[in-house]
Parts: sequence; structure tokens; C-alpha cells
Amino acid sequence: MNYSLTKTDIKKEREKGVLSTAWQRLVPLMAEESRAVTIAILAILVSSAVTLVVPILIAHIIDVFIVNKNFQGVVSFSEILLVVFLVGLVSNYLQVKMMGGVGRRLLFNLRNKIFNKLQDLPVAFFNQNKAGDLISRINNDTEKLNQFFAQALMQFISNIVLIVGTGIFLLVINWQLGFIALVPAGLALLATQLLSPWVKRTSLKSLRTLGAMSGEIQESINNFKVIVAFNRLGYFREKFRQANQLNYAASVSAGIASNVFNPIYVLVSSLAQLVVLVVGIFLISQGRFTIGLLVGFLLYVNSFYNPLRQLASVWPSLQLALAGLDRISQVLAIESDLQSMPEETDCPLIETDSVLEFKNVFFQYVEGKDVLKDVNFKLESGKTYALVGPTGGGKTTTASLMARLYDPSSGTVLLEGKDIRCWTPSERVKKIGFILQEPFLFTGTVRENILYGNAEHGQFGDEQLKQTLEKMHLTKLLERFTDGLDTRINVGGEAISLGQKQLIAFIRAALRSPDVLILDEATANIDTITEQLLEEILNKLPKQTTKIIIAHRLNTIENADEIFFVNGGQVTHAGSMHQAMDMLLHGERQS
Amino acid sequence: MQKKAKNISQKREINSQAPSLFGLLWRYAGVITVLVVLTIIANALSVAVPRIISGAIDTYASGNFLIKKLILEFSLVAVGIFVFTYLQNVAQVLASERVARDLRNDIMAKISVQPFSYIEKITPAKLLTNLTSDVDAVKTFVSLAISSLVSSAFLIGAVAVLLLMMDWKLGLAVLAVMPFIAIVIFVVLGKVHKLFIKSQEAIDWLNKVISESILGAALIRLLDSQNSEYEKFLAANTQAKRVSLKILALFASLVPIITFFTNLATLAIVLLGGHFVIAGSMSLGNFTAFNSYLAILIFPILIIGFMSNVIAQAQASYGRILLVLGAPIEKKTGGLKAKLRGELEVKNVSMNFGEKSVLKNVSFSVKAGSKTAIIGPTAAGKTQLLYLLTGLLTPTSGQIEFDGQDLNAYDKESLHSQVGFVFQDSVLFNLSLRENIAFSDTVKDKNLEKAIATAELQDFVEQLPEKLDTIVSERGTSLSGGQKQRIMLARALALDPKVLLLDDFTARVDTNTEGKILSNIAKNYPELTLISVTQKISSIEHYDQIILLMEGELLAKGTHEQLMALSPEYVQIYQSQRSTNQYE
Repeated sequence: MNYSLTKTDIKKEREKGVLSTAWQRLVPLMAEESRAVTIAILAILVSSAVTLVVPILIAHIIDVFIVNKNFQGVVSFSEILLVVFLVGLVSNYLQVKMMGGVGRRLLFNLRNKIFNKLQDLPVAFFNQNKAGDLISRINNDTEKLNQFFAQALMQFISNIVLIVGTGIFLLVINWQLGFIALVPAGLALLATQLLSPWVKRTSLKSLRTLGAMSGEIQESINNFKVIVAFNRLGYFREKFRQANQLNYAASVSAGIASNVFNPIYVLVSSLAQLVVLVVGIFLISQGRFTIGLLVGFLLYVNSFYNPLRQLASVWPSLQLALAGLDRISQVLAIESDLQSMPEETDCPLIETDSVLEFKNVFFQYVEGKDVLKDVNFKLESGKTYALVGPTGGGKTTTASLMARLYDPSSGTVLLEGKDIRCWTPSERVKKIGFILQEPFLFTGTVRENILYGNAEHGQFGDEQLKQTLEKMHLTKLLERFTDGLDTRINVGGEAISLGQKQLIAFIRAALRSPDVLILDEATANIDTITEQLLEEILNKLPKQTTKIIIAHRLNTIENADEIFFVNGGQVTHAGSMHQAMDMLLHGERQS
Repeated sequence: MQKKAKNISQKREINSQAPSLFGLLWRYAGVITVLVVLTIIANALSVAVPRIISGAIDTYASGNFLIKKLILEFSLVAVGIFVFTYLQNVAQVLASERVARDLRNDIMAKISVQPFSYIEKITPAKLLTNLTSDVDAVKTFVSLAISSLVSSAFLIGAVAVLLLMMDWKLGLAVLAVMPFIAIVIFVVLGKVHKLFIKSQEAIDWLNKVISESILGAALIRLLDSQNSEYEKFLAANTQAKRVSLKILALFASLVPIITFFTNLATLAIVLLGGHFVIAGSMSLGNFTAFNSYLAILIFPILIIGFMSNVIAQAQASYGRILLVLGAPIEKKTGGLKAKLRGELEVKNVSMNFGEKSVLKNVSFSVKAGSKTAIIGPTAAGKTQLLYLLTGLLTPTSGQIEFDGQDLNAYDKESLHSQVGFVFQDSVLFNLSLRENIAFSDTVKDKNLEKAIATAELQDFVEQLPEKLDTIVSERGTSLSGGQKQRIMLARALALDPKVLLLDDFTARVDTNTEGKILSNIAKNYPELTLISVTQKISSIEHYDQIILLMEGELLAKGTHEQLMALSPEYVQIYQSQRSTNQYE
């Protein structure tokens, strides 16, 4: 299964009707917002009407009252103006508040949706995509959308309403003059059309160089110790300098490109005013227009071109938001192929005495390269099994299939006689515990980490938890931490050793006492004395617990009831410890 | 409590640095001056437009209207605005990008002369923020704030002067709304500032939950704890939403109130101005111009409000950057570039992390070409000891000597090119396999081949589609634990080192391969001084020296036989592994 986001990128790049697809994606998210959206749109209409009506009123005051020296009329119309301004105040407030609220809630829902989607996707997805890229999609891309909603969207809608409104007004007041006033806008749109590809190209390039530079920073800072120990500081500094310089050059040319719109729109706005002025004066001289109307008309020309200018300045942020939405939708479109089978009919229960069984299992991470080839074996309840074999032979893969981190490419894995795919995830994880090769800890305390994902013990009070730990002989392990259960853990810090991390992972899994416990080199960095302690703990787990141990150190597997030799994608019975050793020492290696 | 105190002290540091944000601009005095001049010209020209229009209306009304003059003046001004606005934008881009680039280079240059312990203390995550979002905040300041502030101040000043010149009474009436607007902005921003800090915290929280859920994806699926992850996320996301809705409520009131005050000014113009025109003390053209100028006045006021926030953010970020740039550099080590024989002496070395003591008065010596093992339980200080031997960490007290010379007397680069270190965790770079192994720039092809052969990697390399030129992926997910570890070994061996430090190298390599590799090392690098942290006694029984560490203390040192006779702890460890020895 291909989950790679970068590979699907290329296919998606040329998609037509970007705005309409974006709209289609956003509408379902706004489903519950119809009331807020309606109020907001009404408010936008009202406040636009206010903006439009004010010049008419002023023109009227000039033409009717001031020119005729009627101050009483000025006063009474000023009262009307005040009312209009108050209406504007309220509608402006409602407009920002409602539309902004819609945007914030939409962002909230969108983030929830992606996060949920990520939780639905299998481990393979995370192996095929860079963690940095995924984090950036949830954080930065949604943030771009947020910025668009927070600032740009409202401007966008109200500006469009204003532009259309004033455009109509201009034509209604005097269609000839109105037409002349609108012609420069056409020129501006034409220029926008012509220049957009240039702007887009340079912006994309600068985004890409920015990504490359961030990658450079991440890699060198996070691995500083290796770089210092191998004298590579100069090399990485130089590489960074180059990436920085590339980003500088690309950003400058992107800046030069995207800043071209604003001056152009200023220019056409001046042009429109000039034309209106000249033609207006000509019309007045012919007696077909009045000075008051001309003043009002010029105000309208301003109210037409100002929002147009603002649209032009918001345009790049819309482009960015759309790009972000694209990247988000890509994640949302991916479907997990690791679903559980709901139908009873597909899940025949086979009478069996084995807890776990592999039947003709094949598996590949990438198409055409089998990592497991026709694997068959049965594991009995309560026994201890060991998987041995050279590095890269398929041990971790075999174990991962037992815990259904992946599904076989073909063949079946049976858990208690039932296809592992038929178990619901919560039933399955109750049965199977897996201590991973690379222990993962969350930021928090040791207590939070050992109780992570543990509904049963999570409710326990302090005393109860301590008693349980004591009963399971886990207390002694906690002595390795300065503050016991309350020791702070910081992900990514070097303060906690790999061995200590493995201890926590061990306690976390043992506390759940699963029916099948898989240890994938789970104690590789723990000293042998502590390891003996772990073994005692394992031995005191309930009798029916099946243990599967992957290890290189032989003492950890010497008590196994049965040993499997895993090499070159094949899993074979090794029989006794001697036989296993023999195979390990002399067998064909295929790593 | 402690956290709070730290915050306060941090704040104080930032505050004391505050003025230097403008100090930073001195370095770019040239381009900034050009930017300011261009901004003023562009704005001066745009202020002239209403004046030309009102002039045209007035001259028309008085009957001396000259259409050619109007068109000429207007076109010149329009083209001028176009050219200067664009030039101003270009200057702005150049200035801001240059500041950002130079700051990043400065930070990186500074980091690269700092010792590893500094990076550990500051944490990579914070340095990453310094290099990305902090630099961005300063960049935004340069690109937006400078020209916005200059043009706002200029416009407000110029329009105020023009209004007062045209009619001082009406001008005063219009300008009377300004203090009210200033108060509104001041109050709202005061409240928003606190909310911005809260919102940043909410975003940090969100980021933490997201990245942990991605990095811990396998564990979460094994425990079917997606729901609890979602709850964590929901809590953080809800908090982010709550804060942002609060910010929204404040901003939703800001702009309408400012607009309303300006509208009150319009009302003043209509009433007072109308009165003046009727009374004949004001021309109709000036009346029009008053209206147009008022429209010009609104934007600078709003912009100053927004920019004060940009400035505050940039100031805080620049303060953080200065903390990195201003950090003292640890004293430069000596310039000794001698060829190492490989003799090592550790004298009374102690090491503390804060109050926690990691190593206590450890002493031992290692002969050139000998093999030493360090053994001990989890968290005994073994890894830290190796870090001290390479100078990645510095001891709190005590001394480390190579060939009888203090470690600090050596040129660090010369030392690092002779001491190979195989770290416990596998660190692979997004480079080709060749570059990952020949990681230092002095590696010769012959040494590279020898290293690959010694680490038993030749079969693995052979089956790769592009052999040594295959690009290794991020976090090395496509490689098994053992393969990664062997690449790390090859990297250290490619230096052709005199001293090799292994940190739990055998943990992820199977016994068969391990045996081969160790005998390869003995054969191919006969003069090597080997210091190996390990858990496994069987492979070190024949070593010249075994050092037993426990909770930072050196409990015993000697050969296997000596320790078996002298150290009960060692015997205990030995017993814990004994039963399998027959197979090895």
C-alpha cells in the first residue's frame, strides 16, 4: 500500500477550478454555521450599504442644501448620517465577529478532522512520510488557512460586495461616466492575469527553498554531537550558508514579483480618477452633470478601487491558503487499508489450541520485494518463544504482523483461531502487548508514561497503584529513577538513558498483563543484572501468558520453550538452543 | 514557582535588550535610508492627488480651468506614485530578506563554535525556533513595520498640516477625534498582548500533542489509544479556539469603533464645513478635499494599531536571538596537533548535571593499543564518560589526558579526527550512504573500503540498487537496527582512528556478526586503542582492562581474572550471564 504524500503530489498538481474545489471542501465543514453565516452576510450587506449610501447623502447635502445655502437641511441630514454611522458601527462589529467566529470554528473542526484521520491511518503511513512534513501540515497549513479566515476572508467578501455595489452605483448614476471609470479596472485584471504565473512560480520556488533550509537546520541541530565528534561543523555551516543564500535569492525574487500588484492597482485607480475628472468636467460644462454628483462620483471611484487594491494585496494569502488546503485534503483523502472486517461470515472460527498462527504469510513493504516469504508457524498458549537470526532477517517484521501493525500481503494471521483482522482494535490490544525496539515516551512523568493507554490502572489512586506495582514486582525497577513515579520525562532530552527508556516501556507493557507479550530487543541496552530482574517479573506473569522474545543476547532467550530462526524472510523451527546457535553461527546470512 | 521566577528573569533580559531592535538596523543604514526616503516620496505624491482634484474643481468653478495642465500634473503624479511605490516595495524586500539571511548566518556561525553541552542546555528545539520563527518575526518587522510606520506618521502629519492650512477651525474639529482613537487602540492592544501570549502557549501545546502522536504512532496503535490521543488534542485545540475567539472579540470591536470615530469627523465636516461654505468662508473644493483627506487619514491610524503588535513580537524574538548571539564562547582549546599514540589517563574526574552527580571521582589509565571495557548497570554514567573522553562534555572537576597531555591542550579538530566514536543511538543523515560513512572530509577511499569491510557491510551495500550512492532516508526507517549500528561503526572507522570508543555497539548486532566484526577490527586496525561500553562479559574476557561503574562510581578495575577474584559485583554480573557462555 502506498501512503506516500510526496508521490501523490505530482499527480495532483494540475487540478482545474481550484477555487470551486476549495469551496466544495469547505462547505461541509461549515454545515452547522448557517445561522452565523447568514447573520454575517446580512451584516456585510448592511455595512456595505452604509459605505455606499454615505457618498450619496453627502452629494445630496452639497447639491441640495449647501449650494442653496440651507443650513437647516444640512443639520437634519446630518442627523440621518449619524443614524447611518451607528448602523454601520453595529453591522461592522457583527460582520467581523460572526465571520471570524465561523473561521475559527472551521479551523477547529478541520484540525480535529486531520488529527482524527492521522489516528485512523496505520503505521505504514508514518514510515512513508517524514514526521516534519506531517507536523507542518497540521500546524502550518491549517495556520495559513486560519490567517486567511481571520484576516483575509472578511476583507475578501466585503470587498467583493463593495466592488459590485459601487460598480452598479457608478453605472446607475451615469452609465457613460461609470463605464469610463471601470475601464482601468479591466486593464488591472488583465495585468493580473498576465503576471500571476510569474508570481506563482517565484513564490513556489521560495517555499521550496524555505523547506530545504528548514531541513538543513533540523538535521544539523538535532545531530549536533555527531557533527562535532566528526569535525563536520564547517561542512554543515557551509551547507547551511548555501541553503540560506538560495532561500534569500528565491525570496527576494518572489518578493519583487508579488509586490508588483499593489503599485499597478494604485496606478489604475489614479487613472480612473483622472478620466472621471476630465470627462465629468466636460459633462458639467455641457450641463449634463452637477458638481455635487462629480464629488460623489469621485468618492465612489475611490470606494471601487480601494477594495480592489485590498483584494490584490490579499491575493497572495489566498493562494497560500489554497495551497495549504490542498496539502491538507491530500491527507484527508488517504484511506487506511487496515480495517477490521465487520461481517461474522468472513470470520470463521477455527478450533485450535494455538494462540497465534501464521498461515502462508507473505509480506512486502515495497512492491516486488518480499520481506516474509510463505511463513507458517503456530504458537501455543503459556509458552515462551524466541526469534533469533541475523540483523535485517525479518524478526521485527514478523513481530509487527503479530500485533497487526501491518497486514500480510497474502496469507493469514490467526489470533485464537480467528483472523486477526476480525478482532476489533480494543479486543486485540487487550490480548497483545508489544515492547518496541525503539521505546517511545511522552513528555510527562514516569507515572503518566507507564499508565499510558491503560484504562484499567489509569483510574487507580496512588496507594492502589503502588500496591499493584509491588504485587507485580515492578517496584524495584522504579528505583532506577531519581524521583520514582514522579520523575519528569522530556522527549528528545538526553537526560534519560536508552536503558531507562526501555525499563519504562517494559513496565508499561507488563502492567497490562496481556495474553501475548512480544519483546523486540526490548532489553538490549539494559544491564544483565537488571535484565535478570525483568526475567523474574516475566516468569511471574500469569501462567497462560505467551511470551515472544527477540534478542541478540543469548541469556535472554535461553529459557525459551521453542526457538525460531528467522532469516531471509523465512521462519524455521530451530529446535534446541544448540541447533539455533549452530544455525546462527554457520547458517547462510542474508542481511 | 521556579518556572515563574525563570520567566521573570528571562523577561528582564529581553527588556534590557529591547532598544537594540532599532540598533540592528544600523548595519543596514544604507538600504533602510533608501527605504525611508522612497516611502516618504511615494506618500507625498499620493497626498497630492486630492489637492489636484480639488484644484481642478475650484478652477473650473472660477472659470480658468486648463485641461492640459490637469492631465499633465495628474499623470506625472500617478506615474511617480507607481514607480516610487514599487521601488519602495523592492527596497523593503531587499532589506528584510537581507536582515533575515544575515541573522540566520550569524546564529548558525555562533552555534557552530559552541560546545555540545551548550546545545544540550539550550535544547535543539529552542534553537530551531530561534532560527525560524524568531528570525521571521524580525523579518516581518523590517518588511512591514518600518515603511508602514514611516508612511503612517508622514501621512497623519501631512494630512493634519494640510487640513489646518486649509481651514484651521475645521481642521482642529476633525483632528479632535484622534486622541479618542489612540485611547481605543491603546486599551485594546493592552488586552490583546496578554491573549497573544496565551495563544502562543496553546499553539505550543497543540504542536507537542501533534508531534508526539506522530513520533509515537506505532505505540499508540499497539495500545489502541487513539481516543485518548484525540482527547488530548481536543483539549489543546479547544483552548486554542477559546483564546482566538477572545482575541477576535477584541479586534471585532477595534476596527468598527475606529471607523465610527472617523465617521464622526465626517459629520463634523458636513456640519461645520457646510456652515462655513454657506457662510462663504470656505470653498466647495476645499470642502471636497476635507472629505478626501479624511479617507486618507483612516488607514494610517489603523495600521499603527496593527504594527505596534508586530513590533512587540519582533522585539521579544530579537531578545531571544540576542541571548544566543551574546552567549559567551567557551575558552578556545589549545592548538596541539600531535599524532596520537592512544594512551589515555583519566584523573579524579567528577561530573554533575545541575545537582545530580553523574560521575564521582573516577580515575583510570589506558595504554596505547590496549583494549578496555566499561561495564555497569543502567544509568551508571558510562555514556557520559565516553562523552568526556571526546571532549563533547567537560568534567566538573578532574583531568583527562591523551599521551600525557591535557585534553584541552589539543586542537579539537585534530583530536576528533583521531578518535572515532560509535554512538549508542543511530544517527543517519539524509545523504548518500557513502557520505554517511565517509562523514569527515578527510576520508580516503582506501579507508572507506576498509571500514565497510570491517563493519561487515559489503554484502548489504552490494544488494542496494545504487550501492554506496543510495540515499539513506530520514530516521533510517528502511534499515534494520543492526544495519544502522554497523553504518555508525563504519563511519567511525573510516577516520582510521587511533582511539575507538564504542557505546553499547553490540546491543543490536547478532552474536555471529559481532564476533566477525570484532576480529576484523583486531586484524585491520591492530594498533587501535579500544574503549568499549558493553553489557556482555563473554566478549571482553580477554580485554586488557575492565572498568566497573555503578551509579557514577568506579567500583573496580582490572582484568577479567582480577575482577572475578576481587569484585563481588562483577561476579554477580558474570553469574547473570554465565549459563549461556557455553554457546559462545
